[in-house]
Amino acid sequence: MTAKQRFLCPVHILFAIALAIVLIPGKGTDKYGVYLVGFLLILEALTLAVSAFVKKKPSLDVFLDIIGFLYVFLGGWTLATVKLKLLREALFPPFGTILHQFVEDRDKIAVNIASSVGIIIQGFLLAVVVAIPLGLVIASNLRAGNAATYITKFFSSIPPIVYIPYGIALLPTFRSVSVFVIFLASFWPVFASTMSGVMSVDKKVLDSAKVLNVSKPTMLFEILLPASLGQIFLGCNQGLSVSFILLTSAEMIGARDGMGYYVKNYSDFGDYTRTIVGLLVIGGVVIAVTFLVGRLQKFLLRWR
Amino acid sequence: MSAMKIELDHVTVDYEEKNRSFTALKDVSFGVEDGEFVSIVGASGCGKSTLLSVLEGVYNRFTGSVSINGSPVNGAGTDRGVVFQHYSLFPWMTTRSNIAFGIRQVRKDLSKKERLALADEYLNKVGLAGYGGKYPSQLSGGMQQRAAIARALAMDTDILLMDEPFSAVDPKNRKELQELLLRLWEGEERNGRRKTVVFVTHDIDEAILLSDRIVVMTSHPGTVAEILSVPFARSGRGSHLREERSYSGFREKIMSIFRGEVYNRIGGEEVVI
Repeated sequence: MTAKQRFLCPVHILFAIALAIVLIPGKGTDKYGVYLVGFLLILEALTLAVSAFVKKKPSLDVFLDIIGFLYVFLGGWTLATVKLKLLREALFPPFGTILHQFVEDRDKIAVNIASSVGIIIQGFLLAVVVAIPLGLVIASNLRAGNAATYITKFFSSIPPIVYIPYGIALLPTFRSVSVFVIFLASFWPVFASTMSGVMSVDKKVLDSAKVLNVSKPTMLFEILLPASLGQIFLGCNQGLSVSFILLTSAEMIGARDGMGYYVKNYSDFGDYTRTIVGLLVIGGVVIAVTFLVGRLQKFLLRWR
Repeated sequence: MSAMKIELDHVTVDYEEKNRSFTALKDVSFGVEDGEFVSIVGASGCGKSTLLSVLEGVYNRFTGSVSINGSPVNGAGTDRGVVFQHYSLFPWMTTRSNIAFGIRQVRKDLSKKERLALADEYLNKVGLAGYGGKYPSQLSGGMQQRAAIARALAMDTDILLMDEPFSAVDPKNRKELQELLLRLWEGEERNGRRKTVVFVTHDIDEAILLSDRIVVMTSHPGTVAEILSVPFARSGRGSHLREERSYSGFREKIMSIFRGEVYNRIGGEEVVI
């Protein structure tokens, strides 16, 4: 790519427009406008850095389009709030105010993220560690695998949220109930995908392993596990996304920590700035987790 | 005949499918001598691959008896190395790991380092030095088959079973692979003996080039029609052989067995092929 292709892009005009919108005086006072200016500058610096280093044109285009969307969104939001006062300030605070609140609350937010993510990791990992070996063992026996597929269909058709009241009766703390429910929510998809992965392994691959006279553990963990890993990841992704939905819902009902609690608690007090901060942070956390899992998947399936 | 390496005696396989059963193999009997290279030739569906999976020990619902070194076959064994047409290699292991994995199944005494060194040695032998770190998906079909041969040889088994190993490879590479296989087979002696090879193919020229004897099979049901010794010295099987009268005569002899089968099946009417 030439320097022209790298740096002469319409996205920089959008940046200038968004910056101009923030800086021109409007109907209302923008107390924390400086935060938005800072944010825009950081975005633009990031854009220039990425433009300089990205190797492929298509991936740069995607990045620039996303940044362009952000500029349009931030410019539009600012126009509709402080500049033209089209929206009610209590429900639609200026974006600088949202950023300021995020910076103010960063410690509180970190604690809540740690609580939510900790519970998810605990329940999810427990499910993975139990479901994958169990799925491998059961599905490697054709008869047991067929029966287990139907049993799994029944249990995985129960929406995991309805386990919550029973979990509360069964276990002492909010945390243990959450881990239990997330375990169940992740267990069934991971278990089902492991079994369907094992049962759809190419017969030729199985024959290749059989003629090598491999032992049972080798067959399970060195042949069937890698051969069905693609399917297993499908189940893991499904389990993770259900876990996030579940946990944030549960936190809104009965917790003292967590991102769901943060959002629910402040919206109860009419603090919609913090409510919006909470929504955006949850989005960011889910994206980050999805990204990391995607990276892991890409690494483990690099042979494809 | 005494001391046959592989002995098949009235091997019959009946497949059961949903509402019909058919006989894939009927009364197949023949022996393979120690150190012999035997090809099984036949049209697709004649049961030659089924026969090989019986020898591999993968398929065990047959009647009759199959013995190796005088004892009956009971499942897969580490005395047999196998090369398939596809997926001999595990796609999630690098070429080197694939070979080292095969070695591990037969030689538990070697350390990981020794296994990898041995794997590299065999990669070198099949002309894949420097490809050890590649995954099968990064190699061409011909290279994958080279690696599969390297694994089968590295396992150092008495017997090599090959199920149409070169059928999916383009003609130029196929010729190279055939020559490589012969070179390795002639060079790799084990206790002063060559490996015993059973090689399944539908390519008559390939069978003549490679084998000591050819088992010709016909279909419906799969039976051995004839067993022929290849009448050409190994040293004289160069590319010029195909132009010779005696070669086309021998080839014609095999073809006529297949034609005779078709002739019988459609009821003895005049056939023009």
